[in-house]
Amino acid sequence: MNIYIKEMKSSTKSLLIWCLVMIAFVASSMGKYAASSSISGQSLNDMISKMPDALKSMFGSGSFDLSKAIGFYGAMFIYIVLMAALHASLIGSNILSKEEDDKTAEFLMSKPVPRAKVITSKLFAALTNIIIFNVVTFISSLYFVGYYSKGENTTGDVLKLMLGVLALQFIYMSLGLCLSAFLKNPRLASPFTIGVMLATYILSLAIDIDSHISDLKYITPFKYFDAKNLMYGKGFEIIYIVISALIVVFCIGGTYVFYQKRDLKI
Amino acid sequence: MFPEIQLYQAAEVAENTLHLKGGANMNVFLYELRSKAKSLAVWSISLIFVAVFLLSMYPTFYKNASLFKDVLEGYPVAVRKAFGISMDDIIKFLGYYSYVFSYVVLLGAIQAMNYGVAAISKEVKLKTADFLMTKPIKRGSILTSKILSSLVILLITDAVYFLSAFIMAKSVAKEPFSIKLFFMISVTLLFVEIIFLSIGVLLSSVVRKVKSTTSLSLGVVFAFYIIGMIQAILNDDNMKYLTPFKYFDLSYIMKNSSYDIHFSIISLLIVVVSIALSYVFFQKRDIYAM
Repeated sequence: MNIYIKEMKSSTKSLLIWCLVMIAFVASSMGKYAASSSISGQSLNDMISKMPDALKSMFGSGSFDLSKAIGFYGAMFIYIVLMAALHASLIGSNILSKEEDDKTAEFLMSKPVPRAKVITSKLFAALTNIIIFNVVTFISSLYFVGYYSKGENTTGDVLKLMLGVLALQFIYMSLGLCLSAFLKNPRLASPFTIGVMLATYILSLAIDIDSHISDLKYITPFKYFDAKNLMYGKGFEIIYIVISALIVVFCIGGTYVFYQKRDLKI
Repeated sequence: MFPEIQLYQAAEVAENTLHLKGGANMNVFLYELRSKAKSLAVWSISLIFVAVFLLSMYPTFYKNASLFKDVLEGYPVAVRKAFGISMDDIIKFLGYYSYVFSYVVLLGAIQAMNYGVAAISKEVKLKTADFLMTKPIKRGSILTSKILSSLVILLITDAVYFLSAFIMAKSVAKEPFSIKLFFMISVTLLFVEIIFLSIGVLLSSVVRKVKSTTSLSLGVVFAFYIIGMIQAILNDDNMKYLTPFKYFDLSYIMKNSSYDIHFSIISLLIVVVSIALSYVFFQKRDIYAM
C-alpha cells in the first residue's frame, strides 16, 4: 500500500498534465468541428465513401461522416488512441525501470517487501493512472461531442471507442512492464517499448494502404479496436479480445517471472 | 631562440581564442560521437525500414488510386474543388512519397529531440556533470561539441536514409519523377531535425531535472505532431505556425520547386534563438554535484 501511495503521488503531476492535454485536445478539435462543419457537404461525404482505403487514410478523415459531430470525433480518434498508447507505454516501461535508473532500487529492495508485492503495487498504480486518463478523456469526449451533436445520442459510440482505447492501454502498459523486467539495461525499457508502439502504429497505416498485407492486422493492436469497425462495423470482435487478453496475461506473467529473477543494476 | 616557448605561447593564444569563442572541444566531440554510434545504427535501420516498407506499397496504391480517379471524373467541378487537393498530385509518385515522408520526419524529429534533450540532462542524471565540468573546458565549448556531434550523427542518418529511399524510389516509381524535387523534399528532414534539436537543447539547458529523457522528448514531439495532424484535417493555415512539422509544406515545394520563404525565416529564427538562449542559460546554470 505504501508503494502504491508513493507511486500515485509521484505520478500526480504528469497525470494531471496528460489529462489537461487530453481535455484541451478534445475541446479544441470539437470546437474546430463547429467552425468547419459547413464545408463537409453531402456530396463530399458521398465521394469520400467511394475512395479506396489508402486514400482515405491519407486524407485523415477515413470513412467517417464529417458532417456529424460523432463522425468528426471518430476521424480525430486515432490521435486520442496514439496519445493513450504513448502514455500507457511510458507508464508501463518507466514504473519499474526508474528505480534502477534513479538509483533507488537498492533502497526499495532492502525494505521487507517481497519483489512480487512491489510489482503488484506498481502494477496497480499504473492501472490507476491509465484508468484515470481514460475516464477523463471519456467524460470530456462525452461532454464536447454531446455539446455539438445537436441532441443526437452519442454516448454509446463514445463508450465503445473508449473501451477500445482502454484495452489498447492495457496492452502497451503490460508490454512496457514486461520489457522493463526483461531487458538487461533498464534505460532501454522505454525507448524499446515506444519503438514497438510506433512500429505497430506504422504497420496499421501500411495495412490501410495495401490490403495485401491485411493478415498482419493480428500483430498490430492499433487494428484490434479500429474506430471505424467499432462504430460502423462489427463492433468488438471476439478474436481480438482474446488476443489482447492473451498479450496482457503473458506480459504481466512475464513481468513477475523476469523481475523476480532480475539481477538489479545498481 | 626558444622555439618551444614560442610554440607553447602560440598554442596558448590559439586555445584561448578558441575558448573565448566557445569552439568545439575535440575530445568531447569524439566522445559524444562514439557514445551515439549505437543509436546511429538503430535509427538509420529504422528509417530505412520505414521508407522501404511504405514505398514498396506504391504499386498497389497506384492501381487503387487510379481506379478512384476515374470515379472522381464523374463528379461536378465544384465538388472536386471542395476536395482541395488535385488527385493527380497524389497519385504521382512524389505525392505518395510526401505522405510516406511525413512518418519519416516524425521519426527523425524524435531522434533529434532525444539528442537535444539528452545533451545536458544526461550528464546531470548520470552524475557525470561534475566530472565533465571540472575539466579545463569552457561550458560553451562543451555545448558546442555536443551540438556538433548530434548534427554529424543526424547528417549521417539522413544521408543513409536518402540513399536507400532514392534507390527504392527508382525501383517502384511508375513514371520518371523529378530528382531535384525528390531531393528538396527529402532534405526537409534535416531542417525539421535541426529545429527539434535546437528546441531539445534549449529544454535541456532550462529544465532543472529531467526525470526521463524519452518521456520529455516524446511528449514534446508528439504534441507538435498531433497539432500538425489536426491542422491537416482542418486545413487551417494559421495553425501551421504552431508546429515545425508544417514549416516545410511539401505540396508547396512540389508546386513551386522552392521553399516558402516565410516559414524558412521562422525556422531559422527558432533555431538561432533557441541555440543562443541555451548558451546563455547553460553558462549561468547551477549544476549540482551528487
